Amino acid sequence: MSTPSPSRGLPIEISELTKHFGSVLAVDHLDFVVEPGRVTGFLGPNGSGKTTTLRMLLGLVTPNAGRATIGGRFYRDLPDPSGTVGAVLEATSFHPARRARTHLRMVARAGGHDEARADVVLDLVGLTADAQRKVGGFSMGMRQRLELASALIGDPDVLILDEPSNGLDPQGIAWLRDFMRYLAGEGRTILVSSHLLAEMAQTIDDAVIVSHGQLKAQGTLESITAGVAQASMHARTPEADRLCAVLTEAGVRFRRLSVDLVAVDGMTPEQLGPLLATNQIILYELTNEGADLESIFLSLTAGLGFGELAQPT
Amino acid sequence: MIDTVRSELLKIRSVPGVWVCFGLAFPLTALIMWAVFASAGGFPGHTYSFVSTVNQKRDLLGAGYFGITFLAPVLGVICITSEYRHKTITSTFVLTPRRERVLAAKMLVTGWWCLLMALLSLVVVIAAGLPWNAALGGVTSQVTAQLGAVVPGLVVASILFGLFGLGFGTLVKNQVTGILLTIGGTFILEPLLVALARGVFHYDLNWLPSAAAAALAGSLARGGLGGNHDVTTHYLPWWAGGLVMLAWGLIPLALGYFTTVRRDVT
Repeated sequence: MSTPSPSRGLPIEISELTKHFGSVLAVDHLDFVVEPGRVTGFLGPNGSGKTTTLRMLLGLVTPNAGRATIGGRFYRDLPDPSGTVGAVLEATSFHPARRARTHLRMVARAGGHDEARADVVLDLVGLTADAQRKVGGFSMGMRQRLELASALIGDPDVLILDEPSNGLDPQGIAWLRDFMRYLAGEGRTILVSSHLLAEMAQTIDDAVIVSHGQLKAQGTLESITAGVAQASMHARTPEADRLCAVLTEAGVRFRRLSVDLVAVDGMTPEQLGPLLATNQIILYELTNEGADLESIFLSLTAGLGFGELAQPT
Repeated sequence: MIDTVRSELLKIRSVPGVWVCFGLAFPLTALIMWAVFASAGGFPGHTYSFVSTVNQKRDLLGAGYFGITFLAPVLGVICITSEYRHKTITSTFVLTPRRERVLAAKMLVTGWWCLLMALLSLVVVIAAGLPWNAALGGVTSQVTAQLGAVVPGLVVASILFGLFGLGFGTLVKNQVTGILLTIGGTFILEPLLVALARGVFHYDLNWLPSAAAAALAGSLARGGLGGNHDVTTHYLPWWAGGLVMLAWGLIPLALGYFTTVRRDVT
């Protein structure tokens, strides 16, 4: 989707990353790589280990095994952490009595950056008019923008965003989408977790899909959607029983969804069409299910044959 | 490290609790000054007199000590617990992933603000207490001659009380618990334990926080008004009191570092 400029980003490498919280296995031998110059969506249902993974990457949570590095280094070993990585983790982490500009000046100081950057990033996120307001009076959307401004204070090469569109209105979401694309276009590495799948589908180049702490799929959005789209055709026919018999004979996996609807797995329309014609099965409708990110997500995270459909790359 | 300290200075300056502590230091210092003059005049008749004895002069100069004994720990507690209360600890540790640096910066910043608090109380005494004393007939130069005896103990005790609060705040993370623990421990639990130890075991429990700080602050506390009223307590030497008070700050700070600060931030 994006055509990155000469890369200024750094790759994020997650290798065999594992984390237990007591008896709960939050992240289970997770492996993936995020490339610079692309927006990578980190997708998974609630409790799938996304936030824990991001926190391990940022040194907030210590893994039990494995590595999470940025440009080959652990976050805490980066010589200029906030100049290398900007992170948006939770929009509630502000002191309510602190003014927006003061908050950003404080962040700039902590990272050793010029305090004048506070006004630059306030302008970038559209909060200049609210710079002197206390954060306690901010809406959730404004806090998200302020959190994003904090992440950008060091003009970082890598951005890690955990559910950044939470609380944003549709305008804000559209703005965030354009903003991420713009930053990726500059060659930065963008890793963004979200559960707003329709929104993510319009934003991301690559996707990493996790469930129960395990990697379910990784690759470009096109490769993942293509893999799953081919895998599920819905055929509506008055001859569903005969279709099932034909499919069984042909050794094709299928699911009977209703009296007249059959989901055929693992076949392209080009493969299924001739099979139906050969057997002279009357067809009312043939739809290519699973072509959107949401259905892929549901398919992968519900454990419906994802291992065979979209292998991690 | 310098960047972290600068950020922490701005951070604490932008938290209202710190200014509340400073705001309370004024009336408390004034209250103790009033008590010193009333005491010098003999309390029952509420007739005020200028300070005449060495202890009275030192009590006047150290009138801020009483407020410091609980405002400085509260300031120390706030310095760390407000981070947990408002969840800013996450961004703090992201910005400065070496957490020991954050704690070191907080120690310096707490110490700095407690130093300012001690100096502020002196300013109040000099601006209001000395003219008041002069108006009652006292000689200002006789009081200021005691500055050298009072200021070091006052300042160092203030800093160590701040570290004491920071240590317990780091250990418990919860603001209310931290304040209750330090203030309640100093003003309620410690006197009870001291009385119990003396009554039952005939032992002077002089290494608890306020007794240790009183030893450091010297005659401020022994004089009766500035701090511990119990003149029968056998205090530690001033330097030992300072070390013990330092330990009351550093030990919970170290425990807090290993038990809470190093833990996962989820």
